[in-house]
Amino acid sequence: MSTCSLEKLLPEYIKRFEAYVPSKPDSELIKLYGCSRLHRLNNNENPLGPPPAAAQVLQSFPPPRAAVYPSGDAFYLRNKLADKFNKNPEQFLVGNGANEVISFVIKAFCEQGDNIITADKTFAVYEWVAQFSGFEAKLVPLKDYTFDEQGMLDQIDERTKILFLCNPNNPTGTYWNSEKLRRFLDAIDGRRIVVVDEAYCEFVEADDYPDGMSLIEEYPNLVIFRTFSKMYGLAGLRIGYLAGQLQLVDAIRRTCIVYSVNVLAQEAALAAVAEDDHVIRTRQLVREVKAFLREELTRLRLPFISGEGNFVMVKLPMSDTLAYRKLMTHGVMVRTMTGFRFPNHIRITVAKMDAMEALIDGLGKILR
Amino acid sequence: MRAPQTTEVTLNLRADPAFLPLATAFVEKGAGAFGMGGPEALALTLAAEEIFAYLCHVAAPGKEVCMRCRSGGYYVDQEFVFQAQDFNMRAFNLTASASFDDEAGEEETGLLIASRMVDRFQFFQEETGLRLILTKERSYPSLSDLPVPDSKPLPEFTVRPPDADELKIFVRLVNGNYPSHTIPMSFALPGKVVDMMACGELHAAIAVDKVGHIGGGVVWRWEGTQLVEFYGPYVFNQPAESEMAQVLTDHCIGAIARTDAGGLINRYPTPELPTAYFEPLGSLTLHQRNGDALETVAYYRDLAEDLGLSVWAHSSIQAFLTSQYQRLVFAREIRPVTEEGESASPFSVISAELDRGPGRVTLRPIWWGSNAEETLRAYVQTLLREELPNIFFQMDLGRSWHCHFTPALMKCGFEPRLLLPYAGKGDLVIFQYKAGGKS
Repeated sequence: MSTCSLEKLLPEYIKRFEAYVPSKPDSELIKLYGCSRLHRLNNNENPLGPPPAAAQVLQSFPPPRAAVYPSGDAFYLRNKLADKFNKNPEQFLVGNGANEVISFVIKAFCEQGDNIITADKTFAVYEWVAQFSGFEAKLVPLKDYTFDEQGMLDQIDERTKILFLCNPNNPTGTYWNSEKLRRFLDAIDGRRIVVVDEAYCEFVEADDYPDGMSLIEEYPNLVIFRTFSKMYGLAGLRIGYLAGQLQLVDAIRRTCIVYSVNVLAQEAALAAVAEDDHVIRTRQLVREVKAFLREELTRLRLPFISGEGNFVMVKLPMSDTLAYRKLMTHGVMVRTMTGFRFPNHIRITVAKMDAMEALIDGLGKILR
Repeated sequence: MRAPQTTEVTLNLRADPAFLPLATAFVEKGAGAFGMGGPEALALTLAAEEIFAYLCHVAAPGKEVCMRCRSGGYYVDQEFVFQAQDFNMRAFNLTASASFDDEAGEEETGLLIASRMVDRFQFFQEETGLRLILTKERSYPSLSDLPVPDSKPLPEFTVRPPDADELKIFVRLVNGNYPSHTIPMSFALPGKVVDMMACGELHAAIAVDKVGHIGGGVVWRWEGTQLVEFYGPYVFNQPAESEMAQVLTDHCIGAIARTDAGGLINRYPTPELPTAYFEPLGSLTLHQRNGDALETVAYYRDLAEDLGLSVWAHSSIQAFLTSQYQRLVFAREIRPVTEEGESASPFSVISAELDRGPGRVTLRPIWWGSNAEETLRAYVQTLLREELPNIFFQMDLGRSWHCHFTPALMKCGFEPRLLLPYAGKGDLVIFQYKAGGKS
């Protein structure tokens, strides 16, 4: 009798791990929930889409080029990023979305028995990647909805390798200012790797928000994550990158998967890098729509947390997952926050006004 | 002696009477190595001996059998995997009795003995063969007569998992402060609760002050792979304005939020449950020993965004399901289960989990057969005779064969009461015997 005992083959840390189940395609969800259209307000995508120059690249892409391998290490994009941030191209590693570069860093520095430190209520992927790689993720509770500087320092032990900071934090939109980030980096004093995930940095308008890129030259243990999925509207192509000092990036490159970023993503990102007008237009839209949302949520008497970023977190007088299902029947898809350890909260992506009006209309109906 | 790290041992052999001593020695020594006491190990060994003998003589003579003995901390599983054309599970029904009228009856007597020797059993038909799991729990002393510890209001507290001694105090506090229908069945045996928590089958968190006074707590355990059952929150002598119940609930949700749990259910809530966190699924009626009937609302919350599901259902509960899915706003495609003259096994098998404290029984289908109505009636009569008036039947809509029990359930006086999303392979429907022991 030939059987395959997965129970024996699977490592314990994989048995404990949850497989992420992405949402179904729109057409399937529309059929299941019986709605006529679907406003996706769950993934913090840019409602304006990619910048015009990137859109042009997508429209004019010659199909025969799909038969040719892309640059294995995003050569031209790294050069463009180096020009933009006044760095060496070798200081950048490009990955298949920021999720992939999280894996690069963890694989590069952690070995059996090591741990990482991050917050309990933040982007889940740092915690997930650590755990499914067999490393402990030490979770520090947020303090006033913000990463707790001292709490993170207190958790450091001799096996701590990496500290992950999401700045601004997803989903609260809170951030550490320059002074606080510098203080933290000084306290770490180069003894651990500090990753600052700046996925939403292009949305931030606060004056005291730190530019992680400019801190790289001062702190040899600092890694900055950025993505083209949010501000640059290329989430469907999956492309993000990390930056750090040469020696540090050289170490991470040893775990980097080459050829993982497709040619279309590389070329669209290359075109997007210099599109500053797109950033200005998006910020203006986010600013205006957030003002509308604040007003409407106040009218509905719903407490909310609206910090930096293109999202707002709302507290509901009901289960967030029930609200999700009810809103789906009105054609509005939001992100439930139970998985972020904020039960009874939803996160709303700032989108165009028709979607926001549909959301407010739906919220009004489900709260009746 | 150092505790063994191994939690599973396996023996592959042929179903030949010559190997019977080897099979029994394997079970006895395995259970002993896993810390099971003599009487329990012997009971499991006797059950395994009867099963192996039945395989040798009746169900799978000469065929390969895989025996696996596994420790679950507070219990030991003895699993048999084998290929057989016909393995008659009828004797595993609680209602079966020994018959010596014919050869078949005599053969089944061994199975009947096996089923009575263990605490529970499971039976699966899989591509690799049939899989029978016998489970025997370790023996634990009942809750002793020690006084219930004092509790006092805690102005400040933190929530954390208890150690073993704190857990036993917490169990006493729960038993001393709450009615039995709100307490997990295992709480009658504090030592078992400690072992269940140590092996990860039960989880608990307590609210404590700086010097270790326990002000409250919450307990949860996995039901299958996607549903977590949650008991409490229990709060002892705290002021009305205390946020302890909410903080305990938050802690429980936070602890499972990033696991593969799809839902959290509280079927026997305490008055302190923060209901805004949950959706009322419906209610069950608990008939109490004094004759009163108590309606208990079951509360639920999804832990992830609902992706929709296809479920099987017999036409007789289609209206119930449609109304429940609409009320609860769950996206479901209901696929009909039909009977169109195909042949079926003549015997059905049902397992029964008894909780004598509140007089509660949960029946679960093990095997579908055409005598389902007769089997169910026999169960109802037996359980009512045993003064267990709260009889529930749990049907998994992700398993089409479960749904074949529906007509028999309706004819025997059961009605669908509760829909538990994602509680099995698909959603579960809880049927309740509606006469509640009054018939």
